[in-house]
Amino acid sequence: MAMVLGAEVADSAMIQPMKKQIAIVEDEPALRENYAAALARHGYAIKTYGNRRTAMQAFSTRLPDLAIIDISLEDEAEGGFDLCRDLRALSAELPIIFLTARDSELDAVSGLRLGADDFLTKDVSLPHLAARVAALFRRIDALRRPDNAAEIVRRGALAIDGEKMQTTWNGAPVTLSLTEFWIVHALAKNPGHVKNRQQLMDAANVVLDDNTITSHIKRVRRKFQQVDAAFDAIQTVYGMGYRWVE
Amino acid sequence: VSIRLQLLIVALTTLVLPWAGCQYARELETALRSSQEQSLLASAGTIANALSAQPQRVFHDAGDTEGFSAGAGDLYVYPLVTQPLLDGYREDWDVPAEPTPLPTTTGYRARLQAGSTERFLYLFIQVDDTHFDAEPHNVRPDADRFDRVNLALDGPNGREAYFFGTDAPGLIAAQSVVKGEDGVDSVVAEPRIQAFWLQTAAGYHLEARIPLSFVGRHLWIEALDGRGKGKAGFAADSAAGGRLFFATAGLDALLESFIGDGTRATVIDANALKLGTAGTVVSKKHGEAEGSEPIWYRYFLDVDTSDMPTLSSAPDHLSGESVRSALEGHPHAQWVLGGSNREMLLMAAAPIVIEGQLHGAVVLQQASDQLLALRDRALSRLFNLTLIATAAAVIIMFAFATWISLRIGRLRDAADSAVGSDGRIQLSMPESASADEIGALSRGFERLLARLNEHAQYLRTLGGKLSHELRTPLTIVRSSLDNLESEGLRDDQRRYITRAREGTQRLQSILSALGAAARVEESIKQSERVNFDLRELLISAVAAYGDGFPGTHFVLQTPQDPCFARGAPDLMVQLLDKLIENAVDFCPKDGTVTVRLERVQTSYCLQVANDGPLIPEALMGRLFESLFEQRRGGDDKPHFGLGLYIVRLIAEFHGGTAVAANREDGSGVVFTITLPLI
Repeated sequence: MAMVLGAEVADSAMIQPMKKQIAIVEDEPALRENYAAALARHGYAIKTYGNRRTAMQAFSTRLPDLAIIDISLEDEAEGGFDLCRDLRALSAELPIIFLTARDSELDAVSGLRLGADDFLTKDVSLPHLAARVAALFRRIDALRRPDNAAEIVRRGALAIDGEKMQTTWNGAPVTLSLTEFWIVHALAKNPGHVKNRQQLMDAANVVLDDNTITSHIKRVRRKFQQVDAAFDAIQTVYGMGYRWVE
Repeated sequence: VSIRLQLLIVALTTLVLPWAGCQYARELETALRSSQEQSLLASAGTIANALSAQPQRVFHDAGDTEGFSAGAGDLYVYPLVTQPLLDGYREDWDVPAEPTPLPTTTGYRARLQAGSTERFLYLFIQVDDTHFDAEPHNVRPDADRFDRVNLALDGPNGREAYFFGTDAPGLIAAQSVVKGEDGVDSVVAEPRIQAFWLQTAAGYHLEARIPLSFVGRHLWIEALDGRGKGKAGFAADSAAGGRLFFATAGLDALLESFIGDGTRATVIDANALKLGTAGTVVSKKHGEAEGSEPIWYRYFLDVDTSDMPTLSSAPDHLSGESVRSALEGHPHAQWVLGGSNREMLLMAAAPIVIEGQLHGAVVLQQASDQLLALRDRALSRLFNLTLIATAAAVIIMFAFATWISLRIGRLRDAADSAVGSDGRIQLSMPESASADEIGALSRGFERLLARLNEHAQYLRTLGGKLSHELRTPLTIVRSSLDNLESEGLRDDQRRYITRAREGTQRLQSILSALGAAARVEESIKQSERVNFDLRELLISAVAAYGDGFPGTHFVLQTPQDPCFARGAPDLMVQLLDKLIENAVDFCPKDGTVTVRLERVQTSYCLQVANDGPLIPEALMGRLFESLFEQRRGGDDKPHFGLGLYIVRLIAEFHGGTAVAANREDGSGVVFTITLPLI
């Protein structure tokens, strides 16, 4: 136990001097600077880029530890998506967060399909953003550590690794975005308890409207159903919210 | 005035067709009549000329042209067609005229008529004498008194006197007084002059037959009462005696050769007495033809006959303006009314002038000729046809007008309902495929609606666009505030930060409301339809609302059995959320919100009713519009009316409708959602 703890400390000590580098690709300078300032305050090294070209130039020489990308970049309406695709080509593990003013279902689906770890609208507050960034780094760290069984929540066929933020169903991995992961986590932690939308939003560190929660739930169900067509563990309780049934 | 009525009135103007036909017909008839007049007059002139060339065949005696005077005893001798029977009756004479009274000074009334065949002169004397005085035997004509008729004739041997008398009525012979060689008068019978004495209730009739060889130019006749009570006529010894005016023998046959069918020719002498006549006016056939046609429209067609003179039909002479004029030497033609049906006859008279002296006239009579009859029939047909055509035109125009009105009506209805109460625009209009002006109008409407729709679409997406565009600057403000807060602030500064944050929050909720419609529309598009139990959903949801809105009572009324519907339950919950939110907003504290579900025929009726203020009438139809903000609830939350717009969208997604109404008792409002059964 102590050894494990020591390893953790040693790990963080090892990383501490080397600040995590976050790339923010955002064409709106004020916003870019605000995000940069906020994240810098949390101890990250921030590189900001105004468009895809400059960002890609920089990434080709050195990859950041995490990228926060806007979808529309200057004159490229979907420049963020292209950037995401290119980045994924460079690194399969690099955490990518879409942070955009576009909140359509389609954009979210496209973004996540391109391998983004999370899709956030700009409604998200800076502390929430920081929380996500931290969560994603934590996951990276957790992935680099040996399995910690204590952190794994098991609910029947479901297994959730809270540290690595990984989900499996009957042993098969289910790829969830960060928001989705937190929603599933919140539901599965207390099976049978109804979580209303607000509780789910709080759990996911995000401010969303009802429809977005609904579509998140839908997406989650679909992802599980890709693994197991008979999946129906997430139940809708009309007027209240959702609950996990085993 | 509707188009239909207008076109009907226009169609009625085709009635001018039959009217014009009538006018034309009348003019035609006038022309035809005048031409008939001319031709008949020409015929009359021709006949007159032909006759004047052979006066001996025309005039019995060309000498005496003194005026005819019945008072002076002048007598027209009717030509008799058949040999009458001597029987005391004149019915077989076939003369339509009554006998002429003989002049009398004593009140003794006797009447006389004469007729002739080729060989005989017939006399018919009718005497009113109720007392029969028989002739005695061995009569002494001068001394004896008995009912007698004296007759004198200026025969070839001078004046011969006869008398009729009898002791027994019946067939008798004339008697004459013969001076014997001994100087004694004796009465001898003249068997060649036969008569029939018929006693009647009023007196007696004497029908006498005299061979024409006995007859000269004059005739004296006198009836005497046997008791000397009176006498009438002209004594045989008086100078004045009646002249006999004979029709000319053989003239009828001569005339017959001149005339054609349907014409009657009459030759009159200078006294207008008929000398001969031939032919008939074929009025019978004509009359039939007229009678077979409907009478009502002849009223329009017929020539005005009211001012035409009536033809006088004396059997012995002719009269009338034409006759008068011809006897003054001027040919004349005139239309008169004659016959029992008072049909129109054309009468043309031409004088017969021999050696500069007027002797008589030829008068031709003709019914409206065959042409006119044909014209009548043709015009009747024309009239009928134009009437039928007019009727057809009116009907067709009416039908056409009805069709046009229907099309315009359809277009109008479509235009009325093109922009629905829900703000949706129906883009296709009826009639737009038609090539005519209505089609063009319809296409014009379509273009207008398309433009309107674009505009409406723009307005509908404006919210979403605005919300999207405003989101970035808002995020800048908010992230700046976040950063500012992290810098560490004094308490007084923090106060302002808090206010600014509240402001941005409000802004954010407004923006999110603005974009909500678009998001809902999008999520509706992506919704999958499943079968779900509406009742179970309501029970579950309303239970949750009870916890969510503690200040309000919820009442749920549902059928006992499951109510399956097809659609997206998530959306249905959202619909319910919005309705309940709205209801709670307006519901007073401790008021009741009633949710009721029932099956109505082929649909579910879902009602959410709440106590509270009523919806103003003016807003009623607009409540479900996008971004419609009017009603304000108790709190300060902005009401963009999006909630109800979303309700409508979801109801429509499920194939239903959303309607708002005030409760009849004014205690609150009811929102009704109709959903189809599955």
